[in-house]
Amino acid sequence: MISRSKVAWAAVAAGMLALTGCSGGAGAATAAPTGSGSAAPLSGTVTFWHAYSADSPEVKTLETTIIPAFEKKNPGVTVKDVAVPYDQLHQKLVTAVAGDVLPDLVRADIGWVPELANLGVLVPLDTSMSDFTTLSDQSYPGSLATNKWKGHYYGLPLDTNTRVLLYNADVLKKAGIAEPPATVTDLVAAAPKLKAVGASAFADNGAGGWNVLPWIWSAGGQITDPDVTKATGYLNSAASIAGVQTLVDLYKGGYLPDIILGGEGGVSTSDGLATGKYATILDGPWMYPIFASQYPDFKLTAAQVPQGAGGSISVVGGEDIVLTKSSKNQAAATEFMRYMVSEEAQLAMAKVGQMPVLANLGDKLTSVNGYYAPFITQLATARPRPVTPAWSEMDAMLQDEVRSAIKGDKSVKSALDEAASKADALLANVQK
Amino acid sequence: MVSTQLTAQLSAEPTTISRRPSAAGRRRRRRGVFAAYAFVLPGFALYALVMLYPAVQTLLLSMRDWHIAPGAVSPWVGIANYTKAFGDPIFLNSLLNSAVYTAVTVPLQIVIGLGLAVLLDSKLPGRTAFRVLFYLPVVTSWVVVSLLFQYMFSSGDGAANAVVVDLLHVVPNNVAWFQGRWTAIAAICILGTWKGIGWSMLIFLAALTGVPKELHEAAAIDGAGAFKRFQHVSLPSIRPAMTVVVILLVIGGFNVFISVFLMTGGGPDNQTQVPLTYMYDQAFKYYKFGYGSAISFSLTALVLVISGIQYWWTRRSTRM
Amino acid sequence: MTTSQRRRRIDYAIRYLILGTAAAVLVYPFLYMLSTSFKTRSLVLGAPLDLIPSNPTLDNYAQALGANNFGRYFVNSAMVAVVSTALIVALSSMMAYAFSRLTFPGKRVLFTAIVVGLAIPTMMLIIPQFLLARDLHLLNSLQGLVPFYVGTALGFNTFLLAGFFETIPRELDEAMIVDGAGPWRRYWSLALPLARPALATTVIFAFLGTWDEFAWALTVLNDTDVRTLPIAISLFQGQHSTSWGLVFAASMIAIVPVLIVYIVFQRFFVAGLTTGAVKG
Repeated sequence: MISRSKVAWAAVAAGMLALTGCSGGAGAATAAPTGSGSAAPLSGTVTFWHAYSADSPEVKTLETTIIPAFEKKNPGVTVKDVAVPYDQLHQKLVTAVAGDVLPDLVRADIGWVPELANLGVLVPLDTSMSDFTTLSDQSYPGSLATNKWKGHYYGLPLDTNTRVLLYNADVLKKAGIAEPPATVTDLVAAAPKLKAVGASAFADNGAGGWNVLPWIWSAGGQITDPDVTKATGYLNSAASIAGVQTLVDLYKGGYLPDIILGGEGGVSTSDGLATGKYATILDGPWMYPIFASQYPDFKLTAAQVPQGAGGSISVVGGEDIVLTKSSKNQAAATEFMRYMVSEEAQLAMAKVGQMPVLANLGDKLTSVNGYYAPFITQLATARPRPVTPAWSEMDAMLQDEVRSAIKGDKSVKSALDEAASKADALLANVQK
Repeated sequence: MVSTQLTAQLSAEPTTISRRPSAAGRRRRRRGVFAAYAFVLPGFALYALVMLYPAVQTLLLSMRDWHIAPGAVSPWVGIANYTKAFGDPIFLNSLLNSAVYTAVTVPLQIVIGLGLAVLLDSKLPGRTAFRVLFYLPVVTSWVVVSLLFQYMFSSGDGAANAVVVDLLHVVPNNVAWFQGRWTAIAAICILGTWKGIGWSMLIFLAALTGVPKELHEAAAIDGAGAFKRFQHVSLPSIRPAMTVVVILLVIGGFNVFISVFLMTGGGPDNQTQVPLTYMYDQAFKYYKFGYGSAISFSLTALVLVISGIQYWWTRRSTRM
Repeated sequence: MTTSQRRRRIDYAIRYLILGTAAAVLVYPFLYMLSTSFKTRSLVLGAPLDLIPSNPTLDNYAQALGANNFGRYFVNSAMVAVVSTALIVALSSMMAYAFSRLTFPGKRVLFTAIVVGLAIPTMMLIIPQFLLARDLHLLNSLQGLVPFYVGTALGFNTFLLAGFFETIPRELDEAMIVDGAGPWRRYWSLALPLARPALATTVIFAFLGTWDEFAWALTVLNDTDVRTLPIAISLFQGQHSTSWGLVFAASMIAIVPVLIVYIVFQRFFVAGLTTGAVKG
């Protein structure tokens, strides 16, 4: 039928384009990331799915600044951006995979890239783009690593972020603490003093990777081996246990509110910080615009993640841009991808809260938004969560185990032992 | 009444109008059947295409280890997904959760919905306003309502804790509603009942208006008070609607999805999963479509059995 | 005051008391939503009893209405809902009438298929339905939504209407058959007018179901010009924060048509339609 032959044609076309892409040389894509690329002028429509909310500064920048600039450089190419509600984007991608109707480009959460790559629907950019190494070298290594799966890179980092320690200076001063806690030991020591003035030393609203990995890594612990094949010996190492134990001890002492156990409706981290109920929280750069709008009288201040035996190591978040195999216009799509990671576009997005992935922009960023500074510093050492399709399930499982340890249902060691063995099973499944 | 008539018709032998196979009789019968098919087939064809055909495909899918990537091989596993489901403690718990949800919300929706419909059935001034107010929960979107209910059931000073601790004094301290299995389910039940009352009220209202006034007048002349009239006139007259409402609410109760999805997501620790949220996780988060489909079909089978029993029970009791 | 007058007053008083309490409980979340829609700083929800906003503003409504294409999405949803509702009412009432009053071979099988379908959760069917829509070239279009909305609503509404048609006294049908009326005539002149409350119910439910439908629309629609209202409202939610006042304001605007349909059609819940029909 029509649809099947269309798919076949697309596969052939894609194959040809891929070959052109990696013939690596004359006429093909040049090394300059913002160059016009191939000798033949690009044309056609490129569809780009994203989750920027309606009327947001991000989507306005995309539609009024970035896309027009790109289309001016590449007349003949039209970029159509499709907004999908953030909570539903993954589901919509899944159905699109099943129906083989994926768009050309997707702004995918970094955690989805290995999943999609494993399904075989993404184009390996390190082979399809001759200038891939130039582009990838510009990114933060932690962000770039989120795109690697089975020896190939399936996307480019698009925007990044990390968590830093946001603190309420007034509450700390009230408790007699001059500086925000620089080490985990400092935080633990400060906890009783803060409790005495009615504030929790720290608050977080979950116990998954995004929440506990900074603690585990800063304590010197790991989740998996470097090849992401097993977790036993890493997730339940002494250092990892120590990292989680900090949280458990804080909770037991009453210094950590129970929103970490989940369940909505408690005092949110932002609300608690602004009102002085929580002395410190870990959160990302988006908090600055939020606080500016919701709590304009509160001065939001940030410090690095409290240092443990392993340093001050935070967790990388953000989105990657990926090219799908079902794209019928891979050359134009690749060119738009190049533009999105160019300095021009990255700086434009930086103005509206999307931190660039280009490591060399560090100094320029602080002049765009002063609050980026602590995040830039933290990003130098920040790590991505384990890059594997099994992470989604591992994350849910880890959260359950950590929560039961916090509640006191089991010791940290037995919780992490169980988490490690379950993770081993999940990871083993992936290798098949 | 309804059920017996319809069922009697369905199980009746096709009657012959005349023993003599006259050509005119045959033609009339054929035209009758043709007309009947003209009534049924357009709608049924669309229904079959859009509901039954995909349902059959999903059933077949549930018997494979289905891979969603186009062109991937999906090996046949027979009933392996089903045996896995019935050995899966999370799935079995989810069945229990939705059973509890159904057992709590269905009677409440019926009793309260019927009660409100009865109160609004008379010529009460301002009844349109009330009818609109009661319908408001039904039209408010689930996303908005779940958010509000999460907020009202917050472990801090939400409205629910205010009622339970400060007003009614049934518990001494604030309850962390969403951290325990049964407290979370209680909150979900309250949300479900709240949102559904207007729906059942609507159907009962429509049914009550069909009760001929003479029946009420006759009973009143015989000296029956309001309650007795309700018991002996209204209730029997709306029995068809009641059957429909009960069956639909039970089906809806077991198939509960969006409220649980938005309120707890099945957590904490899979304790508040219901079959459909568990199915969603398995299928859309972990790509186990075969298993997810098996879960849905097991639920469907269970619901059909229960509905079948209900249907048979109402037939029995009306025949007596 | 006569005793019957007094009794009626007490009766009304009790009714109003119960109805008022029920209304307060049922309407409270809606009032909360309404009040938040008039607040500016709404990234965090206010206290439960904080129902009167201190500085009420229409900014959220202005932003929602002024947002790119909001009017277009409204019209899209309206077109789909109206067409779907009309088809649902037509097809399900015809099927219900046939199941309730006509005889034909296979009736039992077809009716069982309808009842069985009621138990099937549509969430489970989403991938096969998506593949079907793709193969029928119904993706990414408003008209493509209609067959799916209608088809998935037929089971429920047919079942509901069949139940109501059963309450129409058979003698009326038989009287018309004696007069030589064919099934279409009986359907159109007898069943439909008498089942007005039930049909009104169907209209109300069908309209609400299609107007509010989110999951399927999200799955098959991509282009902005075919976007429907629920998706548009959901897009006001951000990845890291949501201005709830804006979302609630947009939701309020979206509720208006549904309420209008309800108010218009609930007028048909008038008693006594079958009164006197059986006599003479």
